[in-house]
Amino acid sequence: MTITPGNANGITTQLGDQGLGQQPWWVEQWMELINGYRFKKRLERAWEYARSGNVLSIRFEGRRVHARVQGSGEDPYKVKLWLDVLSDDDWGYVLEALGQKARWSAQLLAGVMPQDIERAFAASGRRLFPFKLQEVRSECTCPDKINPCKHVSAVYYLMGERFSEDPFVLFQLRGRTRAQLLSDLAVKRRALLAKKAKEAKEAAPADALPQPAAEGSLNPAPAAIRDPNRWWNYGAALDPGLVVITPAMEGDTGLDEAGPLPLAEDGRFPEAGKLFVEQLKAHGATCGTAAMATAMAAGSNNGEGDAGRSAQA
Amino acid sequence: MSLLHATWLPVVPRGSFAKGKAPSAGLFIWADTWRVADPVVPDAEAPFHPLSLNLDDLATWLDENNFWSEDLRQASVTLTLPSRQQLSRGQKSSAGDAWSGLPLQAGEPLPKDLTWWPWQLEGWFLKPGPAAEWLNQLPLSGTAAAGLGDDLLWWCHLQRWCLSLIARGRWLPDAAEGKASWLPLLNREDDRRRLEDLATRMPQVVAASSADTHLACGRPRSNRLLVASIVEKLVDGQLRAAFAPGGPGLDPLLAAWQEGLASHDGKLQLDEEDQERLAIASHHWRETVAGKVAPARACLELFTPPEGEELWELRFGLQAEADPSLRVPAGIVWGAGDGNLALGEIQLEQPGALLLEGLGRALLAFEPIERGLDAATPEAMQLTPAEAFVLVRTAASRLRDVGVGVVLPASLSGGLASRLGLAITAELPEKSRGFTLGETLEWRWEFMIGGVTLNLRDLEKLAAKRSPLVQHKGAWIELRPLDLKNAEKFCAAEPPFSLDDALRITGNEGETLQRLPVHAFTAGPRLQAVLEQYHQQKAPDPLPAPPGFAGQLRPYQERGLGWLAFLHRFDQGACLADDMGLGKTIQLLAFLQHLKAEEELKRPVLLVAPTSVLTNWKREAAAFTPELVVNEHYGPRRPNSPEAIKKALKGVDLVLTTYGLLQRDSELLEAIDWQGVVIDEAQAIKNHNAKQSMAARDLGRPGRGSKSGPRFRIALTGTPVENRVSELWALMDFLNPKVLGDEPFFRQRYRLPIERYGDMSSLRDLKGRVSPFILRRLKTDKSIISDLPEKVELSEWVGLAPEQKKLYNKTVEESLDAIARAPLGQKHGQVLALLTRLKQICNHPALALKQDPDLSDAGFFKEFAARSAKVQRLEEILEEVIEAGDRALLFTQFAEWGHLLKAHLEQKWRQEVPFLYGNTSKTERQAMVDRFQDDPRGPQLFLLSLKAGGVGLNLTRASHVFHIDRWWNPAVENQATDRAYRIGQQNRVMVHKFITSGSVEERIDRMIKEKSKLAEDIVGSGEDWLGGMDVRQLKDLVTLSED
Repeated sequence: MTITPGNANGITTQLGDQGLGQQPWWVEQWMELINGYRFKKRLERAWEYARSGNVLSIRFEGRRVHARVQGSGEDPYKVKLWLDVLSDDDWGYVLEALGQKARWSAQLLAGVMPQDIERAFAASGRRLFPFKLQEVRSECTCPDKINPCKHVSAVYYLMGERFSEDPFVLFQLRGRTRAQLLSDLAVKRRALLAKKAKEAKEAAPADALPQPAAEGSLNPAPAAIRDPNRWWNYGAALDPGLVVITPAMEGDTGLDEAGPLPLAEDGRFPEAGKLFVEQLKAHGATCGTAAMATAMAAGSNNGEGDAGRSAQA
Repeated sequence: MSLLHATWLPVVPRGSFAKGKAPSAGLFIWADTWRVADPVVPDAEAPFHPLSLNLDDLATWLDENNFWSEDLRQASVTLTLPSRQQLSRGQKSSAGDAWSGLPLQAGEPLPKDLTWWPWQLEGWFLKPGPAAEWLNQLPLSGTAAAGLGDDLLWWCHLQRWCLSLIARGRWLPDAAEGKASWLPLLNREDDRRRLEDLATRMPQVVAASSADTHLACGRPRSNRLLVASIVEKLVDGQLRAAFAPGGPGLDPLLAAWQEGLASHDGKLQLDEEDQERLAIASHHWRETVAGKVAPARACLELFTPPEGEELWELRFGLQAEADPSLRVPAGIVWGAGDGNLALGEIQLEQPGALLLEGLGRALLAFEPIERGLDAATPEAMQLTPAEAFVLVRTAASRLRDVGVGVVLPASLSGGLASRLGLAITAELPEKSRGFTLGETLEWRWEFMIGGVTLNLRDLEKLAAKRSPLVQHKGAWIELRPLDLKNAEKFCAAEPPFSLDDALRITGNEGETLQRLPVHAFTAGPRLQAVLEQYHQQKAPDPLPAPPGFAGQLRPYQERGLGWLAFLHRFDQGACLADDMGLGKTIQLLAFLQHLKAEEELKRPVLLVAPTSVLTNWKREAAAFTPELVVNEHYGPRRPNSPEAIKKALKGVDLVLTTYGLLQRDSELLEAIDWQGVVIDEAQAIKNHNAKQSMAARDLGRPGRGSKSGPRFRIALTGTPVENRVSELWALMDFLNPKVLGDEPFFRQRYRLPIERYGDMSSLRDLKGRVSPFILRRLKTDKSIISDLPEKVELSEWVGLAPEQKKLYNKTVEESLDAIARAPLGQKHGQVLALLTRLKQICNHPALALKQDPDLSDAGFFKEFAARSAKVQRLEEILEEVIEAGDRALLFTQFAEWGHLLKAHLEQKWRQEVPFLYGNTSKTERQAMVDRFQDDPRGPQLFLLSLKAGGVGLNLTRASHVFHIDRWWNPAVENQATDRAYRIGQQNRVMVHKFITSGSVEERIDRMIKEKSKLAEDIVGSGEDWLGGMDVRQLKDLVTLSED
């Protein structure tokens, strides 16, 4: 569970408990980028730095990454990292390409980073990921003349995990936030769809198409407004699936399903993310048992009381 | 009576917490009650709800019903409620006037000019955690608990869902907007459906908080979002309450998150940057598991390959959450472009994005879809047979769980129908009449999967293809590994098929034969006729009144008679549970006469009834079935040895006895070879452990004596037996043991699920099992109402309790002597006094003895009913009236009696019984009448004195009228009856006239009926004639006759 540089696989991260194969692909790609770097010795020292918690903070601010790294001096050094931003024209090409494949939009909307996203960027002749580490521009306030210095390198290491918290931060570094990207994509898509709709309209009789909705009627009035009898009345039976309350199947809770917490760890607290999830799981199990007991006892006050009464009668 | 309601408050109400505490959402508990109130003209501020319970009364009520909680806080809120426009007193209608009116209450009939208006209410507030705890203690089976509004049942069901979410661990921690919370995951198919159900059925009072529903602005929030947010708060409250933060080994960020998950306000003690970081990470963590709550979802529809081709087609589209049958294909979704899309009543914003997001999610559960999403606006794709199988078998449920709808071809759509089962055709053998349960039927069967039939050879051939999805007779079906083996097993067993099996299979859903589900059952015409009658799908063939029956049967009574005879032929016990007043007695007597006329009545029949109705039975039998020889096994002179009773019953057709004697004389009664046993007022054996229940059950089965013949069993009751789960077992144990299994089984399988949790599927199954044996018709049934006159007069014959009898005889004896000796001038007065006193004795000894008990005299009221046969009978009938939710007027001519009875009835039913009599003031009168007519939860019983309440009033809400004692003049009684039976009455009115048999009351009744000279004198000239009667006439009138 620790980052160990230079082992057989190159470098793994704290998340790599299950091995590199379990990493999101973009984290892998980032690690490959670091492994491809020539000055291994320098990186090893930087790794020690990162592991001992010298990187105090990493902050994505607009198109830049700001970090504070505790060096030998009293005040922490300020590190800045950035990539070359794509021009609006370039983004136009990328968006055009992304719109060609429904899957890209679909995955981005569902919170998944498409594995072949670079192909959309290739349309503009640009890349999302830097090709080599040298493309990552950096500045450090330390006196060291060599770039990347060990402070910058330490930040490199931890960036990979920060990507797993939010893969779309890469878009941000290239000049578009996820929200911007999605809304730009939507605009592109709408234009495309409007065109398609127009074509369809010309091809088909008007009544075969759905009528556009009237403004402001997005939520239909609840039934009770239309039928005031419904104001007070419910009159439904308990869902049969709720008669007996059952526990989760093995490994089927929300925490199981969501998997490891995608939160970069503080090197001083190894396994903190795993512990956090385990502690919550334990709490969930206790609450689950209590909920079942409560459900089992429901109505027993009244039910048993009645039975008692009729037994005396 | 007041009714409790619960409304969700999205923000904390005024006055509920001290300043400085953080606001949170929660549950507002309040109650409305009926009272006379003037219409309110609202001011700039919302007016105070004039019909609500104040804080203290509400607290008392909660405390008395064990619903009090230390977490309850005072609150005052404004709710928007449906209201009735009403002019305030003295105000004349004119267009310029301000609105004035009153809030409506649950159950009140809706006025035409319904408006919504804000009202200010006081009540009690609970934060989400305590609210969940509070909801846990409410009864789940709903309406049973008095005083709880229907909306509380909705709340209970919602909380039960929350418990289920917690039990299944369907939540993730969240950290949005600087606050940590426990966020439920509502993505699973079942949970989506529950959200949808609870949102569509939500009583709107739940959302009446004006901060949330801007009804006036005409744009209420969608219920779906509201319900989802309530579930979020309740689940969060419950998980938060018990959470202990500060686990070891956490970094500061995660430690702060845990602190936030435990703290009451959820605040994250982090700087903005870290808050932001947590928010993004937790959102990203969750979004691959569960999406947003939306009105529609992406949907994949699978189509079978065209004839001769291999590839299956999968079409994309959108599907409404509220109604899965509402779908639009992707082509139209793309075609909607930038605009909204109408899906039924729903308007979808950005349907294209919704579809794309769903497809992105679908990719996570079913990879092959990737291929289909290469185009910009894909509408469909093709699947290989192997992919189609994966979709059918496993991916469909995974897809549904991530929130993507899947529609499969009917023959593959899962559930029982797509499994190997049977299609059966059966008919009665040629000579059979279908009256023996065990008899074997002629039958044919085939296997059936997904709606197509096949035989064993087909199955072998299909299995040989080694493909899980195969085509047979044009339909695609799924073969499971064990199907062939099970089919072979079934063929080898060659099971027989009996009438019993046919009844079972047609009676319940999902029945099996030799462990194979029966998918289709076709009955031949003759078998079909038997099945339909048995399951009461078809009215039983009516049987006309048998020869020798002195009277007429109404059409529904002929059907009842036919039904009794039908089950009798099957040797099945029958429970006739017709509504009161429909003539159960007559139907049973007609049935006995039917047996007699068919010369099938060879041995005596035992009828067990409460003492209070024995007289009634005797009278009715004498009137309707004079050919039946009736004997009473009752009283001190009843036979006391087996020999004596055998001798006494020679040639007797019907023996009447009481539940008390059934137990005491059980050995004696068991010595008789009864042809049948009838229990009247069968609710008497509701408790299966009680001695009289066991005695009845033992008598219902032929004795150990080898000579005994079969014995029929009939139960009569006016209560809705099929709804009283706990009593059903004892009843069926008497009628047809085995139908419901033994008691422990019954308790586990039916009683607990139904009574505790209100489980409808168990209840349906139970009803399916017992319904062939229970016939219950209501006065309000369409098929009955046309047969009934609008006013049904019923004579309730009652006897006298021992104390009454003694007092009656003593009074007659002493008075007659005194009257004979009295001077002429005083005679008239003395005769009148005697008659009055005798009528009072018939009501109750306490009335005649002028006992004036203290209301707290528990001993007096405990003995009260036992001292009067009339009160006992009255209670029995009122029990049915109250149970049915009906309302009744009770008339008496004695004011003192009204007071006594009021006290007794109020204690017995724990509800207010107003009494209107001469001394009631005019305003009180009006209030009583208004309340009886208008209060949705007003009193069910209304006592009136004949003189004060007999004229002028309009009391059409009552559908029963009781004349507890008789008046000489039928016109006066009729006038009183017309309080209920007049314009505005929607129901049939049942008029119950109590007559104490053998007493002066019976003579009066006879005189009225015969319209005798004497009666005319009475009607014509008041009571003057009384004084002119000679002592012999008087003696005939008053002496108690024994018969």
